[in-house]
Amino acid sequence: MFSPKTGTAFWLYVFGACVFTVVLVVILQALPQRARRPLMLAATFIGGLFYVLEFFVPLRTMPTPQDPDAVGNFMTPFVVPVAGILIPIVGAVAFGLGAINLFQIHGRRILKKNPNYFFSYVFFIGFFTTLTIGILQRLRPNAINKNLYDLIVVGGYQNLDATMFSIIAFYITSAAYRAFRVKSVEATLLLVTALIVMLGQISLGQMLTNWLPEQGVGFLGNFRFEVIRDWILNKANTPAVRAINFGLGIGSLAVALRIWLGLERGSYFDSQG
Amino acid sequence: MNILRFLQEVDRRVLYALMLLVIAFPVLVPIPLPMKVSPATQSLYDSIEGLKENDFVLFGVSWGAGTRGESRSQTYALMRHLMRKKVRFALLAFEPQAKVLNQKIAEELQKEYGYVEGVNWVNFGYQIDQENFLQGFGKDIVGTIKKDIEGNPIGSLKVMEGVQTAKDIKFLIDVTGSRSFEVYITFLQQPFNIPMGGGLTAVMAPEAYNRLDSRQMVGLLGGLSGSAEYEKLLGKTGEATGASTSSAFAHLLIIAFILLGNVAMFLEKRQRQRMGYGEK
Repeated sequence: MFSPKTGTAFWLYVFGACVFTVVLVVILQALPQRARRPLMLAATFIGGLFYVLEFFVPLRTMPTPQDPDAVGNFMTPFVVPVAGILIPIVGAVAFGLGAINLFQIHGRRILKKNPNYFFSYVFFIGFFTTLTIGILQRLRPNAINKNLYDLIVVGGYQNLDATMFSIIAFYITSAAYRAFRVKSVEATLLLVTALIVMLGQISLGQMLTNWLPEQGVGFLGNFRFEVIRDWILNKANTPAVRAINFGLGIGSLAVALRIWLGLERGSYFDSQG
Repeated sequence: MNILRFLQEVDRRVLYALMLLVIAFPVLVPIPLPMKVSPATQSLYDSIEGLKENDFVLFGVSWGAGTRGESRSQTYALMRHLMRKKVRFALLAFEPQAKVLNQKIAEELQKEYGYVEGVNWVNFGYQIDQENFLQGFGKDIVGTIKKDIEGNPIGSLKVMEGVQTAKDIKFLIDVTGSRSFEVYITFLQQPFNIPMGGGLTAVMAPEAYNRLDSRQMVGLLGGLSGSAEYEKLLGKTGEATGASTSSAFAHLLIIAFILLGNVAMFLEKRQRQRMGYGEK
């Protein structure tokens, strides 16, 4: 089933997959909301069950041509097809779903002439231009298509993305100036720590304590900004981050279990009755 | 307006203009500043220095244009070091833009070091769902990836000779602006006991220090200063060395304004107390 197909068999598989998808979507659309819920629950449970079995069923020696020392259980042979074939397919479907959602939202805005509906036209123009040039560049990688792709994606999109992120530097300056005020013991502690870490991080800050001996040479060497920064990051920050990660891990496990077993409220069309 | 009040409420446009000035000035007029290499950077350098010729390294590059300012210079420095050491490497991205951004870097550096795509390095391209993907990847690299970004079956590439599973990876690097390094640790570093290093943005780096403490990561580049330190170790001045001067001046400006605001607030408070107004 997971082996590559070529020629007529390949096209038959593509055709079969398309027919299956259309039929599935039509059936799901025709079902009432209440009937969809058990289907979603079953799909989620079966999906999650794969990982539960793979991780919790005891392992034994399972040599393969690629890895003679491999260990696993009866689910292990499916891990590679799931990761290499099924997940990209699900991902592609998710991208498609995202595009359909955007079409619906922006299409509705244009039809209803909502305020600023002009930007929805920008979305459609941007989407189809980028899509067309991307496909052309892949199918016919000649100089024109390559330059167009570079202009839109490398020259346009990537630089816009970088610019958006760079603007944060200005906001941080303004926010730090207004928010970092010594109004309580906690705020003072935070301020002093932040200043030391910042000074220890930059060469100009390190120069301020360059007159002190090197770390390990004398006691005063422990007061160089970069040494205090390392101490804060390793001794104060590390246990705090680790504690947060423990909490996050346990919380994630609880949420995952609730979703897997269908106990989470608000999911699976609950809100749609 | 009272001068002390004014110093606490400087118009944000003035701050923006000053910030622009201190960032732009060192770019226009390079100012060399001395810098000290942090233990985390030194440790990463030493680990890569210890690799043998032809070892295979997995180079995670999950960064986009948003963190280009920090991540690109880290990628340049680390890739340069790998090429100097003549080790093979594979680029793997979990960020859509990374495929193109890092391909350009590798293509640029390969001319300098005589590297050939498919022979000394390969780009596995953009992959989705890192958690699931890495579980298959660790067990069968060729079976999970199948083709490189040029469409070549990776099993037929010279660079992949003798590389079947994650056990054949001698070193793992992740340059990222996200938490992808945590997923690498969970699904590759720990199960297969692969030495791992990272290049993280300055805001992400403190979250990785506990991984250094637990030896799950052998070294770390933190932000722009990390890559500048690495360039110093390589003896090759790159974009990070110049940009870190801008970053240093920007930090200094932020510190100066924080101090200014607080001193003014403190003095105004004392002034009001002296005049009998009490707390505002």
